[in-house]
This record gives sequence, C-alpha cells and structure tokens, in this order.
Amino acid sequence: MDNEDSITKLLRLKRYEQPPEEYFHNFLAEFQTRQRSEVIHRPLIHIAWDRFSSIFVMPPIPKLAMGSSVLAAVLTTAFILNWSDDVEPSSLTLTSSGAVQLDSKNQSSPSKVGSTVHYVLPAIPVSYVSARSF
Amino acid sequence: MEKTETPDEELVRRTQAGEAQAFDELILRFSPRLYGLVYHMTSSHEDTNDLLQDIFSKAYRSIKGFQGKSSFYTWMHSIAVNMTINFLKKRNRRKTLSLDDADSGILNNQDFIEATSIADPSREANLSELQKRLNESMLKLSHDHRAVVTMFDIQGMPHAEISKVLKISEGTVRSRLFYAHRQLQNYLQEFIDK
Repeated sequence: MDNEDSITKLLRLKRYEQPPEEYFHNFLAEFQTRQRSEVIHRPLIHIAWDRFSSIFVMPPIPKLAMGSSVLAAVLTTAFILNWSDDVEPSSLTLTSSGAVQLDSKNQSSPSKVGSTVHYVLPAIPVSYVSARSF
Repeated sequence: MEKTETPDEELVRRTQAGEAQAFDELILRFSPRLYGLVYHMTSSHEDTNDLLQDIFSKAYRSIKGFQGKSSFYTWMHSIAVNMTINFLKKRNRRKTLSLDDADSGILNNQDFIEATSIADPSREANLSELQKRLNESMLKLSHDHRAVVTMFDIQGMPHAEISKVLKISEGTVRSRLFYAHRQLQNYLQEFIDK
C-alpha cells in the first residue's frame, strides 16, 4: 500500500506538465478560426442538404403525443384492412343445367335473411344462338 | 466583490440556444483539464493540440443532443477519453517522445521542484531522469490502464466519476488501477521510497 501511495505521489508530479496560460487563449482563437474555415470549405452537397432539410424542420413533438398519433394511425389502418377483408367478392358457379350462377354471400337485404338469391345467366351467349332457330 | 462563475449548465443551455460565446467560455473553462487528460495519454503536445481541437469540435456539433443526464464535465471527459483511445489505437506507439518543450519548461518550474523534493527529500533525484521515466512508464501501460491512471493518479478524480466517464463499474476501475500500479512499480522502483 505504501508503494501504491508512492506511485500516486510520483504520478501527481505530472500534473505540473501544463502549457502556459496564454496557450489556452490561443487555443480558443485557433478553434474559432478552424470552425470558420470548416464553414467556408464545407462541401456543397452538405450545404444543399442542410438547406433542404431545413424546409422540413418540425417543432419538437412530445414523445407521448407522437406515440399516440402513431398508435391511432396503426389502429385506423388495421380497422380499414379488417373491414375490407369482411366483404368477400361474389363468386360464379356453373350449375348442372349449364347455367352460370352468381352467388353472393353478402346480401344486405333484411327481408331475405336465410334465403339465397340466384342470378341465372343463360349458358350460351346470345351471340352464339343460331339466327334460324325455331 | 467576488465575481460568481456562470454554472456549466447555464452555458450549455445558452450554447444549445445558439450563443457561440457561451461555448467559448466552456472551452476556456475545460481546456486546461482536458489538455492534461489527453496529453498524459498521448505524451505528445502536438497530438494533444490537434485532438483537443477535434474533441471540442465534436462536442460543439453534439451539444444539442446533450440532455443533462450526466454532468457536462463527465460528458466532455467521455468524449475526450473515447476519442483519445481511438486515436491511440490508430497511431503506432511512437518510439521518440515529443516532450522536450514541456520538459525544459517544467524543470525550471519552482512548484515542480518543491513538489519533487517533498515527495523524496532523502534523495537528490535527477528531475530530468524522473520525468523521462514517468513518461516512458505511462506509455508502457495499455490505453485503458493509462486512461484510469491519468484520471485517478494525475488528475485526482474519484473512482465513481471515472466509472461514469468510462461507463464501467467502480470495481473495474479499482482492478485496472491495481494492475496498472503493479506494472508501474517495476518501472519506477528506484524512485519509490522503501
């Protein structure tokens, strides 16, 4: 432990190794000159980027408000996606009689609850019907 | 009437608001201490001067992000230590020490002479030899050990403060100091009291 103290005492002598007071005033002047020089010699792309980004400068938003907005946006998106999934597209089926049947699972008419409305289309398009059919 | 010093936090706040003179004040306030920190880790005045410029530049660029979770003193020291260690990793250890300018000045410094005689009154140590050996022994330490020794032994910072600056536990600080001191004992044996 005595040795440790002696080492600390010896090392403390190094704190006297400081440049004179005026060095630090010159250092400040050098720092200011360097800063100005950096501003002047900045690459054009950096200056352009700074100007571009300053257009979109936003005031600081509190974290809670930012979080609430993001949450609201996520919930709204989820609701919209869920709602559009419920509305399934109608499907076309071919009946045994050859007629094409359009089934709709999403009938909104309350008077026809439980019944299925069938749209029966002719199996053969009108353009294929022979002109001389009697 | 004694002039009251503006607190660091006030100067930081003014700098964040765009007042460059407030940062000048912080430079004048912190540069002597940070100079010592960087110099004792690099052992080169030239490198210290360049690094210190970079350190204050970085601090100025980052000061808007400083939220005051630690003291400004700790924050500045963290930047200085990290940048110096990165610099040392890149730089190959120099064979020749560039301490000549400081040495010639310090050897005529009355405080240094008195402090040396108090530390070792029984022996007429060669001051020049002592300083040379001190610097050489510091350079033999690893970067991490040198940082801890500089802050604790030379700058007199408490363990808790060093642990905040280096973001390590106080136990690690003490352990690094222990190993560094043991290493230094070998190099400085002839100057240590028995």
